[in-house]
Amino acid sequence: MKILDADKLPDLAAVLAAAGYRVVAPVRDGAQVRMAEWKPGLAIDAGPIPANSVKEFLFPRCEVIARYSLDGDSFAPQPAPVDAPKTAVLAVRPCDAAAMVALDKVFNWEYRDDAWNARREATTLVALVCAAADDECFCTSVGGAPDARLGADAVLRCADGASKFILEALGEKGQALLAAAAGVLADGDARPDPPASVPVRFDSKAVTDWCGENFESPLWRDLGLACLGCGSCAYACPVCHCFDIQDEGTRSEAVRLRNWDTCGLALFTQHSGGHNPRPDQAARWRQRVMHKFRYFVERFGGLACTGCGRCARLCPARLAISQVCREIDEARKAAAK
Amino acid sequence: MAQTETKTAEAAAAFQPRIVAFVCNWCTYAGADLAGTSRLRYPPNVRIIKLPCTGRIDPLFILKAFEGGADAVLVSGCHPGDCHYTSGNYHARRRWALFRRLLDLTGIDERRLFFSWVSAAEGQKFADLVADITEKVRAAGPLEPANPARRRL
Amino acid sequence: MSTSEAIRADAARLLAEGRAKLVIGYRARGPHRAPAFVSDPAGVDVLIYDNLCKQNLAVYLRKPEVRSRGPVAVVAPPAVMRSLVVLAAESQLTEATVLAVGPDAYHGVLDLAGAAALLKEKYADLAPSPELLEALAKLDAMSPQERARFWTDQFAKCTRCYACRAACPLCYCARCIVEKNVPQWISTAAAQHGNFAWQIIRAFHQAGRCTLCGACEAACPQGIPLMLLNLALSEEVAKQFGEKPGYDPAAKPVIGSWKPDDDQGFVR
Repeated sequence: MKILDADKLPDLAAVLAAAGYRVVAPVRDGAQVRMAEWKPGLAIDAGPIPANSVKEFLFPRCEVIARYSLDGDSFAPQPAPVDAPKTAVLAVRPCDAAAMVALDKVFNWEYRDDAWNARREATTLVALVCAAADDECFCTSVGGAPDARLGADAVLRCADGASKFILEALGEKGQALLAAAAGVLADGDARPDPPASVPVRFDSKAVTDWCGENFESPLWRDLGLACLGCGSCAYACPVCHCFDIQDEGTRSEAVRLRNWDTCGLALFTQHSGGHNPRPDQAARWRQRVMHKFRYFVERFGGLACTGCGRCARLCPARLAISQVCREIDEARKAAAK
Repeated sequence: MAQTETKTAEAAAAFQPRIVAFVCNWCTYAGADLAGTSRLRYPPNVRIIKLPCTGRIDPLFILKAFEGGADAVLVSGCHPGDCHYTSGNYHARRRWALFRRLLDLTGIDERRLFFSWVSAAEGQKFADLVADITEKVRAAGPLEPANPARRRL
Repeated sequence: MSTSEAIRADAARLLAEGRAKLVIGYRARGPHRAPAFVSDPAGVDVLIYDNLCKQNLAVYLRKPEVRSRGPVAVVAPPAVMRSLVVLAAESQLTEATVLAVGPDAYHGVLDLAGAAALLKEKYADLAPSPELLEALAKLDAMSPQERARFWTDQFAKCTRCYACRAACPLCYCARCIVEKNVPQWISTAAAQHGNFAWQIIRAFHQAGRCTLCGACEAACPQGIPLMLLNLALSEEVAKQFGEKPGYDPAAKPVIGSWKPDDDQGFVR
């Protein structure tokens, strides 16, 4: 058993950085803990659930996908190599790791996305078994668990009353990481701490079924009233993956960009002629729930939600998709009686 | 030590500031024109962009100049009371009074952002102004690498 | 009677009498506070008010789907009332019905004039928190390069989710400048140039209008200290033009107006 003292996460980060990894870890930033690129001297805070998901290190907010030089009427393509540094993500939550598996399906669906696959291949996810959860966590309602291993290349687990971590490799990438980190790992024994307890808040199968029959429902209208129409939920979500393509340039050079985009914003479906097929937040909330709990299931056989709860924690109106799902589940049960 | 100082001074002398000047059509542009027709010399570091009125000079233009790599921006128009459209420069004055605070707070300080009134008759003032600003920006040094507005894609 | 009970009683009365068809207030969602939309007098029991109720509900008055269900009454702490007064000054509202609450008392149902009078009488000296003032002073004491680095790091976190815009009652443009693309002044890329231009223009569009309610910063999922920008501009507005928005429904917009003797010490 490979053991690391609880306060030695920066040492682990340092030895991995020395071995050529870009290290991403939860670090304190003002009032938040955020997943960020680790630099020597930074403390690592594996306590709170990070405000941002790990998604942005595999699917950046803004990415140059093509580059051109311009000269009068002519243009010449320039190389736009994929940026895929060898990366180790420390203390990624099981919900985030599972989300990357969902995104693998999206980015290898009709089109194999080389940029995603290159970064995925170069990234080693070291999951942290959640020792604590908050009232917005609902992984257990969407097929996950605080100690789930889906998507993880290695697992960190608190042990001996949070005084140690047990580090376990789950595959080749994990083994390579453990080998690189051998200098800071000790052989020994430790008793793993129990994972957090996350109550099941709703039956996701019931939500999927209900969504198939309730495209028109007063629920959407009520939800739409409180929604302010920002992209906070989608950009915090580890599974949301919509993007926009933009060209930007000067007279001598231009780039084609892939920028995050979200169905929560009015402009997402705005037609150039002025018509908007999703005219209000009610239609946009419906799309959000339908996509996560119905369309994604139909297309890929799994949910597009891993229950991290970030959308609810960060919503300026404190709307929660888990509460919506619970209400749907309860309404369905009541109707069945 | 002395050698380093000489080098720094040389670097400062070699640095050619890029200054974007947004000027109004009726006063400052005419003033700059007068400077030219009067064969007055001023540093070639300023790129002049003519607009109808200072009231038309949107803060976005200033941001765009810094985004493209300007070291400083000059905004100039008619003296108070002389606006071709009566009050464009009064509106602009309020806007700048606040906008310069915002840019100063975010790291583009008063050595990078200049405002002036130059009339159509003030060719000499325009030439002197550009010479003075160029020296001030040269002394301040390049805005890079700490230009918070710079396009880096 | 507690403040929450008084709000419920007034909300029920307004709805029953038809003076309001929709009451916007606060409700509990677990330990959190979320907006409540009540249209039935029998449904007022969800309404609560305590010091956790922070969201600026004035933001909902710009939503067409809310307006169409009016007349609307809003549970309004001083910050919300100030936003409503600015909206009235900018001809976005002609009237308002508020259930006015303060940190110390419940003031009952007021109209716009009543809310403005109450603000002037009891809440004229609302001041930014000492922490915020101190943070701004600290920033101002830095060198320009240090300030540039500070904001470059902060804005680097911006994902362009526009929660700051969505949460602000005064961001009501039908089409935001950042969404205009002919020409595209502000890059939509969540990269340095786009984020800087967006954040600067967002703050500047609030110059002379912002009431320092804090909704933008509270909404920011990335923890960017937007209030530093707003406070710096508000202080400048007060210093240069003697204006404090949100008290006078007939006030002229600071940036849309001028005086011949405005200070021009900075103009050469």
